[in-house]
Amino acid sequence: MEFVYSQLSGFGGAFIAVALDPLTYLYLVSSVFLGITFGALPGLTATLAVTILTGFFGNKIPLDYSLIALLGAYVGAIYGGSYPSILLNIPGTAASAATAMDGYPLAKSGRGGEALGLTTTASFIGTLIGTFALLVFVWVLLLISQNIASPEKALLALFGILLSGTLMSEDLVIKGWIAGLIGLAMAMVGLDPLLSEPRYTFGWSYMLSGFQVVPVLMGAFAVPQIIEGLRHMELGRSVALQGRILPNLPAIRRHLPTITRSGVIGTGVGALPGVGEDVAGWVSYGVGKTVSKDGKNFGKGSLEGLLSSETANNACIGGALIPLLVLGIPGSPPAAALMAAFKINNVIPGPTIDPAIILHVVAILVLASLTMFILGLFTARIFIKILRIPQTVFLPVVMVLTTIGSFSVGGGINDLYLMLGVGFVAYFMSLMKYPIAPLVIGVILGGLFDETFRRSLYLSDGDPLAFVSRPGAGILLALNAALILGQIPVARRMFGSLKRRLL
Amino acid sequence: MNSSDNKAVMRAQDFWAALFLFGVAAFFIWRTTFIPLFGHNRAGVSGADWYNSAALVPLGIFGGLLVLSLVLLTISIREGGARSALSAAGIGWNRAEAHRFATLAAILFFYIVGLVPRVDFILASGLLITALIFGYHHGHARRMSLAAAVVAFAGSYAVVRNLPQSDWGRHDDDLVTLALWICLTLWALVQGRGDRVARVIPAIAVAAPLILVCVMAFGFRQNVPNRGGLIFEQIEYHYYVSLKPLWSR
Repeated sequence: MEFVYSQLSGFGGAFIAVALDPLTYLYLVSSVFLGITFGALPGLTATLAVTILTGFFGNKIPLDYSLIALLGAYVGAIYGGSYPSILLNIPGTAASAATAMDGYPLAKSGRGGEALGLTTTASFIGTLIGTFALLVFVWVLLLISQNIASPEKALLALFGILLSGTLMSEDLVIKGWIAGLIGLAMAMVGLDPLLSEPRYTFGWSYMLSGFQVVPVLMGAFAVPQIIEGLRHMELGRSVALQGRILPNLPAIRRHLPTITRSGVIGTGVGALPGVGEDVAGWVSYGVGKTVSKDGKNFGKGSLEGLLSSETANNACIGGALIPLLVLGIPGSPPAAALMAAFKINNVIPGPTIDPAIILHVVAILVLASLTMFILGLFTARIFIKILRIPQTVFLPVVMVLTTIGSFSVGGGINDLYLMLGVGFVAYFMSLMKYPIAPLVIGVILGGLFDETFRRSLYLSDGDPLAFVSRPGAGILLALNAALILGQIPVARRMFGSLKRRLL
Repeated sequence: MNSSDNKAVMRAQDFWAALFLFGVAAFFIWRTTFIPLFGHNRAGVSGADWYNSAALVPLGIFGGLLVLSLVLLTISIREGGARSALSAAGIGWNRAEAHRFATLAAILFFYIVGLVPRVDFILASGLLITALIFGYHHGHARRMSLAAAVVAFAGSYAVVRNLPQSDWGRHDDDLVTLALWICLTLWALVQGRGDRVARVIPAIAVAAPLILVCVMAFGFRQNVPNRGGLIFEQIEYHYYVSLKPLWSR
């Protein structure tokens, strides 16, 4: 308990410092507003919002303010996705896909205002649950992570890529793994981290420094969405909003167990490396449907169903930041963009991160969730109007934003060529149902994997047992093996028969 | 298209994707052999042991990719992907969609490769925004072709006339882009009489790049593409010579 109190007092200091700075509110209100707008517009996502702002703010303003803008946009965008889900039956972001299942029937039955009020409150509480978990668990894990050496880091990076590939695949799981391997392969370009041996540069000096993360992020997340979204589309008629958008406190009190359970699930899913808010929303919705007394009404306008997904996807934000800050492994695609922002500001997330940055992040998340709550309640009608803007009008502007953001981080035309090339490849990959998140996570973690894998072998004179001789490494190797074997039918059958025999 | 048709299309695409991935993986495994694996001394460091080699991890990655491409190939063949791989319907070929993508790809290619490095950013982006909204808002194939042709012409002119970096500061391509932008805007207004979106195109096309480039250059003091462009050069001059002294005194 003493530990929690000391954490809270550290957080209090950071919170006051952030809250007393007037510039905080300029960045916070504008970024949360922008985030909600990005989330509310079908075709734009939370990842895109954070990616674009990474290019835009990246290393131009102090990291403290840059983090306010990026986290504000992240929190706002995950919440903003609920607007089109509820009013149009079109999820604004993948994270709010489960919200549409009950949100739209509620709106159709004239309870749209109530649904929006509840999602606003649930998103606020969810973000706070995730943030509290971040505040407490990040320190415990940081203490543990001090003992993590190269073998564990290499296996953890591989686990993040494999897990992301496994859970983010819409079609075959190996497509997720292939995407992860393509990302890893892209990270191999340039001088290798131990011997400075040039790899796959084809004589082009630009390639010596490897692929820059921001143009890759912009290409992978922005360009495919721009290409996909630039088509004629008749938006469905928005359900007329009835009732005031207010937090329904009796309903919140009645559903507090659901909100708490969903918050915990969202945080847990977020803490898994490479798994995003969309998975959190669906997992929480699925669990809610199974355990709730109201389970049979899920999908027909159940308040519990709505709260299950909306609380979890926002709680996932705090969870996703745990592996990012402790291990340097992004917990979700938007967290991958945040990692890029840390990197271009020369901050390396992981066991050596400055603890003040973690407290700063927690303070920003609390303020961002408060801002989101206030904007959600008082300016909701503006966002509902924004829903009517056609994609074909705002996506060209996004393309210009992407171009200037990508150019200004590196300051070179070559970065734009890289962005376009990655964008076309990512578009074709997403057409063929290859998930893009594992590719980006592969690019981000590739350097770490290469360096730590070879260092482990170097320190053990080439003995592969280095990956099983330490308990942590052994567990991670077993998890990696289980993840791969779990997808092979023969191995699955063998495990099944072994389990039956043991039971 | 029902879900079984979708799956058949997906497997046909997987068949080609697996072959492509196999080729790519094999190519890069061959390229990896250029990196010393055993007993070479490179970059001043002895690489006598295999576990020191910079080729080790890439070999694993491309080896893994090769194996996964074979697994994907097996799955696609088993589920009928090879049978429908050579038919247009089998791979989900859609003429309208291919036209949409080809024109968009051309617009983005000429914007990034031709216009952004050589032409004033406000002009290049204004033309891009106008072309994209005009071409794709209503989904008319002819508008898409026209939009792509205009951007391609402006981009090709810039590349052909001012290919080397030493010529990127010239303004002839700026003027051509400006002329094409004005013509396309007028055409969009004529074609879209009574259409609200057509009326807002000029405002968005002027305001968005202008605000963005000024915020980046003067707000964040960042590098922006083509500082010597026709319009931005004037803005920058008047910012530092006429405006900034007003509050710097």
